[in-house]
Amino acid sequence: MFKALRTDNSPFNPQQIEMLQSSLVNLDVAQSAWLSGYIAGRLSTDSAVNLPLPAAAVESIPQQKFHVVYASQTGTGEVIAGELAAQLQQAGWAVELQSMSSIRPAQLKKLQHVALVVSTHGEGDPPDDALDWFDYLQSPRAPKLESLNFTVLALGDRSYEKYCEAGRRLEQLLLATGAKAYSTRIECDLDYAGNAQQWSTEVLSYAREQQPQDAAAKRGTAQHLSVVPSAEQWSRVKPFKATLERVQKITALESEKDVYHLELSLADSGIAYQPGDSLGVWANNHHDTVTQILAGLSIAADAEIEIDGHIHTAHELLVRHREITRLSADTITAYATAVGQGALQQHFEALAGSERRDFIEARQFIDLVEEFPPQEGAAIALETLAGLLRPLAPRSYSIASSRAAVDDEVHLTVATLFSDAIGTERKGVASNFLNYHLQAGDEVGVFLEPNKRFRLPENRQTPVILVAAGTGIAPYRAFLQQLEEEAADTPVWLIFGNPHLRSDFLYQREWLEWRGKGLLQHIDCAFSRDQAEKVYVQHIIREQGERLNQWLQDGAQIYLCGGLAMGKEVELAVQDVLLEQRGLDADGAAEELAELRRQGRILKDLY
Amino acid sequence: MAETAKLSPVEGIKARSNFLRGTLLESLADSATGTLAEDDTQLSKFHGFYQQDDRDVRDERRRQMLEPDHQFMIRARVPGGICTPKQWLAMDAIAAKHANGTIRLTTRQAFQLHGVIKRGLKPTIRAIYDSLLDTIAACGDVNRNVMSSVLPEQSALHQQIFQHAAAVSRHLLPNTRAYHEIWLDGEKLTAEETANQHEPIYGPTYLPRKFKISFAVPPRNDVDLFAHDLSFIAIIENGELQGYNVAVGGGMGVTHGDPKTYPRLATVVGFCLPEQLLQVTETIVKIQRDFGDRTDRKHARLKYTLDDQGEDWFHEQLVHRMGYSLSLAREYEFTHTGDRLGWQQTDNGLWHLGLFIENGRVQDLPDRKQLTGLRAIAEILKGEFRLTPNQNLLIANVAEEDRAAIDQIVVSHGLDSWNRLSPMREHALACVGFPTCGLAMAESERYLPELVGKIEQLLTRHDLLQQAITIRMTGCPNGCARPYLSEIGLVGKGPGLYNLHLGAAFNGTRLNSLFRESVQEAEILQVLDQLFADYAAGRNEDEYFGDFLYRQGLLSNSSHSTTPFNEQIPA
Ligand code: SRM
Ligand SMILES: Cc1cc2nc3c(=O)[nH]c(=O)nc-3n(C[C@H](O)[C@H](O)[C@H](O)COP(=O)(O)OP(=O)(O)OC[C@H]3O[C@@H](n4cnc5c(N)ncnc54)[C@H](O)[C@@H]3O)c2cc1C
Ligand SMILES: Cc1cc2nc3c(=O)[nH]c(=O)nc-3n(C[C@H](O)[C@H](O)[C@H](O)COP(=O)(O)O)c2cc1C
Ligand code: SF4
Repeated sequence: MFKALRTDNSPFNPQQIEMLQSSLVNLDVAQSAWLSGYIAGRLSTDSAVNLPLPAAAVESIPQQKFHVVYASQTGTGEVIAGELAAQLQQAGWAVELQSMSSIRPAQLKKLQHVALVVSTHGEGDPPDDALDWFDYLQSPRAPKLESLNFTVLALGDRSYEKYCEAGRRLEQLLLATGAKAYSTRIECDLDYAGNAQQWSTEVLSYAREQQPQDAAAKRGTAQHLSVVPSAEQWSRVKPFKATLERVQKITALESEKDVYHLELSLADSGIAYQPGDSLGVWANNHHDTVTQILAGLSIAADAEIEIDGHIHTAHELLVRHREITRLSADTITAYATAVGQGALQQHFEALAGSERRDFIEARQFIDLVEEFPPQEGAAIALETLAGLLRPLAPRSYSIASSRAAVDDEVHLTVATLFSDAIGTERKGVASNFLNYHLQAGDEVGVFLEPNKRFRLPENRQTPVILVAAGTGIAPYRAFLQQLEEEAADTPVWLIFGNPHLRSDFLYQREWLEWRGKGLLQHIDCAFSRDQAEKVYVQHIIREQGERLNQWLQDGAQIYLCGGLAMGKEVELAVQDVLLEQRGLDADGAAEELAELRRQGRILKDLY
Repeated sequence: MAETAKLSPVEGIKARSNFLRGTLLESLADSATGTLAEDDTQLSKFHGFYQQDDRDVRDERRRQMLEPDHQFMIRARVPGGICTPKQWLAMDAIAAKHANGTIRLTTRQAFQLHGVIKRGLKPTIRAIYDSLLDTIAACGDVNRNVMSSVLPEQSALHQQIFQHAAAVSRHLLPNTRAYHEIWLDGEKLTAEETANQHEPIYGPTYLPRKFKISFAVPPRNDVDLFAHDLSFIAIIENGELQGYNVAVGGGMGVTHGDPKTYPRLATVVGFCLPEQLLQVTETIVKIQRDFGDRTDRKHARLKYTLDDQGEDWFHEQLVHRMGYSLSLAREYEFTHTGDRLGWQQTDNGLWHLGLFIENGRVQDLPDRKQLTGLRAIAEILKGEFRLTPNQNLLIANVAEEDRAAIDQIVVSHGLDSWNRLSPMREHALACVGFPTCGLAMAESERYLPELVGKIEQLLTRHDLLQQAITIRMTGCPNGCARPYLSEIGLVGKGPGLYNLHLGAAFNGTRLNSLFRESVQEAEILQVLDQLFADYAAGRNEDEYFGDFLYRQGLLSNSSHSTTPFNEQIPA
């Protein structure tokens, strides 16, 4: 006997439920079994679309499945989850590899064996795909999930104040529902490979302890396989050496922004990126800065150290393998201890949350060394230094080209990151390396970071609204190149913001050309410092509310790319427009926005 | 008129523009570009501004994938060059706030501002309008700023002639309300008003080309009266203005390598009484409106209409339209072009100070705080400023007792250079050219001062430094500094390359001739060195350099010539 279908336990609307109910009650056992097979077969022949199984169906086919569920913003978590799913499948499990957004919270009750990968974004926020889960789990409606067994892999970056916050909270919330963690959460910094591997091993050993369901595995549907990425030849740990072909500054001389356009050759790499993807780039730290650090710490540049079987000189270690631009709280405290800087220790610990973050973000490691040099007699060993600095992580850049237009090149749009928060001018490692140190002809290690959540709509008739600030415009250049090559007639509306029209409209000539050719319907720019009052992209959204609403009614998708703060403001502005244009109240507008998000019509690539 | 030939594209733009509105409002609102829509860049001229770009950075910006550094030159009309101290202060403030911080005095006694960006257009035009100057019809196919001799010698007459010039200027203003709608937030026309719009003098497509008018007072030819479409030569007897000789069909503009284009001196066609002035003017404008060549903008000025149709035809048209003919031209004589610098007193006892402004560019330089100094003068001046036809500035109508205060400012701001300059430098004119002028082929304003320095050394060598010799340079053959009317004319051909013209009359009554084509500085200096030597050795007493060369027969053809002059390289 199965439960009655309701709108809250199934994806059907009342009419459909009525129809289904009336048909289903009259079926005998044989007919029901036939129908379940029929539907499963239909699903398996459908495309690779990752359909959530209807709740009622899950219950009506009692089989043990392993759910590998990820909430990933920039795709790292998705890759890790995919690899784990493949391993579980090999181990004979029926595996569902799904994004959190495709499992409605109400379905959580049906899950039994789950492995969760969740990264942290914004300022300690869950990725967009996890928002519905978080809302549900912390609401009074939160269910009892006693039959759920789970473990969490939390992805993060130690340079952020709220390290792996989303993963931590997810674990807490699930534990509060009565769910059981079969192994404790593992947290990963940017060099996630080791910890992720360890976590996968734990999941696999848990899985082995459960009854392997050979029969169920056989029945596993084709869709599961299709989402497991084929092993990429080039990866984060095995990057492709791309050759820099051209580097060209694209902000005018007088601009306070320093943005470069880079063209790299991917010839013979087989890297098949798509518009919307990012490229991971391995950069080297600046030699002069490294020299200064080592001198400041009285460590010989050619002092040697063995790490994982490799011998490095101190200089080379710092140039190629350690973060010296982004600090973390751990690095600061460890450094303070190592060099006997009680003052630094005390000062840092006394700082409140946001001051602490400011302290970290305003400084690079060289600033610590200069501001808080080793105390008398507190010589720091190279081994200690190697231990307290985090491994150097690659940086991501949204790809600014389409292969359809540039063949085996890949284009990036890189803003040099400057900071003189504490008086000395410092530059970011990767942006400085790419824009200033790499010369045409040089090689740089790169790898693909696919971003399936930031693609052009499958249906090229769907209108797209592209909102960007600064280098956020990069992926849209890829989009337009692609659409131009396809001769697609997708309606496109670009909304762009930066300080000045005269100096900072990145790729201006191309946009104007595309507009001239009719590939772009509208360009609206907010040049914040061109007039007395500051104007940003969110102002345009509000100003153009009527058009925006019309486009949304025509099915448009909104893309947001650029700084995190901009993304937030734009979402608020869209909500305001919905409120105003559709005569909704605040809750109604928030719900509409949430609905757009659920429909995957708000796509983000924020950093 | 070639009725069958196709009208030039600009004619279509004017016709479609709904009396100069076009899509200017939409262009201003387009946030993605610093430009106007293409058609609007033609219409903008009628409103007083040109789309330009900083050519120094054009190539760099192309590589940066940025559009050219678009900016606008705005020209403010100043009929007769007369500007109150208050207006000066307004221009000074506008230049600092919206433009590149310099004020450019033009060869037509007007103001130009450079480097105004699209967003700045509206506030700039509004502010100029509020200062009681305006920009309407400062450019475009209409009558341009009316020039009038600054004449400090006879101030009562100056007033009278200036009033005539101002009346002509007012009479020929376009009637469209587009200017008020777009720039001054004037009310939009109703449907009925739109249907009934009307340009009584110009008609809906305005003139075939620009139209220029000047007033000259012999013996002084500071306005270069023979260079304009229509000029009036004041005829004064016993200190009274009798009327004006009428001269038509002057013009400078030429295109390199296009023999159907040439500079032409205006032809004196008769005399009119002051009370006939407006009618004569309007009639001549209308003749040009109806018969000017609208199919080819290179052949559309009145000078070509006149040569194509003949002088007799022109007189017939006048009689036909006015009902009477002009009387016979009176005697007149011009002795010189250029301005008189330094202090001069007029018969009413007031003083006037002619200040040298190199190439008309008013800016603060280390040795010349021109902007600051003139601001200080404007703050105390009880008289007025007069922009001269040669890019200089006259501080006019100063009472004896106020001279000292002005002298003090002049000296302390380095504005007293007139008493240190060689006569050649005093007379030197250069058009704007690079980096703003879109038509420039060679440097002009930025280069002439340096070249003059080198020529001065030659003059010194031949003991000619105190000899007045006119020299003018333009970055292209359009002739904005009237180079074909100077004894030494340098016309830009390419980077570092100039056509060297020689032998115009010092008083502006004879054109010069092409002497060397596409020469560089070294060759220019070499040629001049030799000619200066000949001149120093063989000149008659008080003979000007141009007249000497002409007498020597060193030049081919030089006159009111209408023959193709591009080909005139002497054998
Ligand atoms: C500012 C000024 C030169 C100066 O150094 O002072 C000037 C500057 C320009 N002239 Fe001129 N002309 C200026 C007096 C003249 C004169 C002299 C005169 O009027 O006494 C002439 C020769 C007389 C004549 O008209 O024949 C002159 C003949 C031209 C021509 C050629 C016209 C022709 O019939 O061929 C052009 C090009 C055109 O109209 O196509 C031109 C075009 C231009 C433009 C607007 C370039 C353009 O069309 O894009 C120049 C703007 C440069 C800049 O960046 O500022 N300008 N131009 C003068 C402004 C006068 C004013 O206040 O209205
Ligand atoms: C998906 C994605 C796409 C991206 N696309 C682009 C792109 O198209 N173009 C582009 O230019 N950039 C892009 N970025 C940003 C890019 O990855 C780099 O973050 C950026 O270039 C700066 O890197 P860097 O190595 O030069 O600076 P870093 O060396 O990382 O800079 C460190 C400096 O930043 C300061 N700082 C600021 N915040 C912190 C913090 N939280 N912790 C520590 N230090 C901080 C410190 O002063 C420090 O010196 C993207 C990022 C992501 C995630
Ligand atoms: C814009 C941005 C903000 C981030 N904020 C945090 C944060 O607050 N805390 C944290 O631990 N990690 C933070 N991270 C680091 C990510 O969690 C980390 O890069 C992770 O590997 C991304 O995984 P994903 O690609 O699956 O989303 C942030 C990353 C980005 C790009
Ligand atoms: S002469 Fe030529 S270069 Fe000089 S301002 Fe006139 S149009 Fe420009």
